[in-house]
Amino acid sequence: MITLRTVSKTFSEQPVVKAVSLSIDPGEVHGIIGASGAGKSTLLRLMNLLERPDAGEVEFDGQPLMRLPERRLRHVRQEIGMIFQHFHLVSNKTVEQNVDAPLRIARVSKKERSVRVNECLRFVGLESFAGKYPAELSGGQKQRVAIARALANGPRVLLCDEPTSSLDPGTTSEILRVLQEVNRTLGVTVVLVSHEMDVIKSLCDRVTVMEDGEIRETVRIEPAGIPSIDSDAIWFLTQLTEGGGPHA
Amino acid sequence: MPDVLLQYEEEIKLAILQTFAMVGVSVLAAILLGLPLGTLLFLSRKGQLLANGFVFSSLNLLVNTIRSFPFLLLVVFLIPFTRLLLGTAIGTAAATVPLAIIAIAHYSRLVEQSLLDVPRGVIEAAVSMGASTREVVLKFLFVEARSGLVLGLTTSIVSFISYSTIMGVVGGGGIGDFAIRYGYQQFQTELMMYMILIMVVLVQLIQFAGTTLARVLDKR
Repeated sequence: MITLRTVSKTFSEQPVVKAVSLSIDPGEVHGIIGASGAGKSTLLRLMNLLERPDAGEVEFDGQPLMRLPERRLRHVRQEIGMIFQHFHLVSNKTVEQNVDAPLRIARVSKKERSVRVNECLRFVGLESFAGKYPAELSGGQKQRVAIARALANGPRVLLCDEPTSSLDPGTTSEILRVLQEVNRTLGVTVVLVSHEMDVIKSLCDRVTVMEDGEIRETVRIEPAGIPSIDSDAIWFLTQLTEGGGPHA
Repeated sequence: MPDVLLQYEEEIKLAILQTFAMVGVSVLAAILLGLPLGTLLFLSRKGQLLANGFVFSSLNLLVNTIRSFPFLLLVVFLIPFTRLLLGTAIGTAAATVPLAIIAIAHYSRLVEQSLLDVPRGVIEAAVSMGASTREVVLKFLFVEARSGLVLGLTTSIVSFISYSTIMGVVGGGGIGDFAIRYGYQQFQTELMMYMILIMVVLVQLIQFAGTTLARVLDKR
């Protein structure tokens, strides 16, 4: 679905992602875990060209994104939803208007827009909040609005950048349940960046461990929740789970 | 009404009208040209959507230069330009030229500042959903920055009123000019005080309207 081929990204002479190759399979929930500064968020942002790589290729559904003209790229982005740690809702728009925004960008007809907005808000359980402003919502509710907004144009992939990192544990599992629904009910491929092992474990089919801008390994998480990976990576993941991490 | 006001009723009415005309043109220039210029200043900054060092530095220098002129000198400096544009450098219409130019420079800077206050993530979210630069500006930046834009315009209008008071030097008239010529220079201190009072009330009204509108628009 998304393929990164030897992508590199450098910020002010500091290499953040170093010749990374990664393939996201259709329908999977793919976790990316690593300590802060490991380059996992940057890797995610390369997938919809929110950051342009200095070298390498990014493909979505076989299309080389870097070579698409601006207009086509914007079109492709409508098929790739994205949510963020700090939600990034427009605070001067109501819940309804926030979810409506991507539909307007996609030039969806007025009638269809209101249907879609209702569908998406119902999916995240916030249909009664349509007229409220983000400031009136809790963190978990804001993230659910952000998910509804990301789903509005019926994307095939949802990129999640630390979606639960500013939420309390109870709200975290609530958001994870919604993301699971997105994957299972809607069949949307999910890429999830997090530094919390519990979050990754509860949701992901595969997990990529990043360290120092490189992929340490990509492993399949067994349904039992025990990753079938070598001792080295287990040590690394344990460190992260305990909130430490080699660089923390 | 005090006798001194009745005595000069016609002149005062004209002066108020002239002030309104000068400030009105300034506000129009600020919105029609200052807003786009400020937006371009913001967008051409390093790391922004239209990042362009040359464009940013040039606009930045231009805005700074205009704003660093003592306003009286700017008016004098622009006389040839005004004459070129309108055929005369004297009168209320001519006075609007330097006022419009300072208005554009002044407001564009405040627009840039307001846009810088919008969280970067909002722009990223917009880009990630496929918005064009134009859509990012109109549907996200301006919406999120709207109360700042209104407050900035309010501050600007108050400055424009102040700038308009010296336009007597090129025959622009207005309340300030009237206060100087009839009040100060003819030793009618009372008359001068009334003119100041008019200005104070005007500024209070504008500030009140601006603050109220900004508060209503702000849902953050």
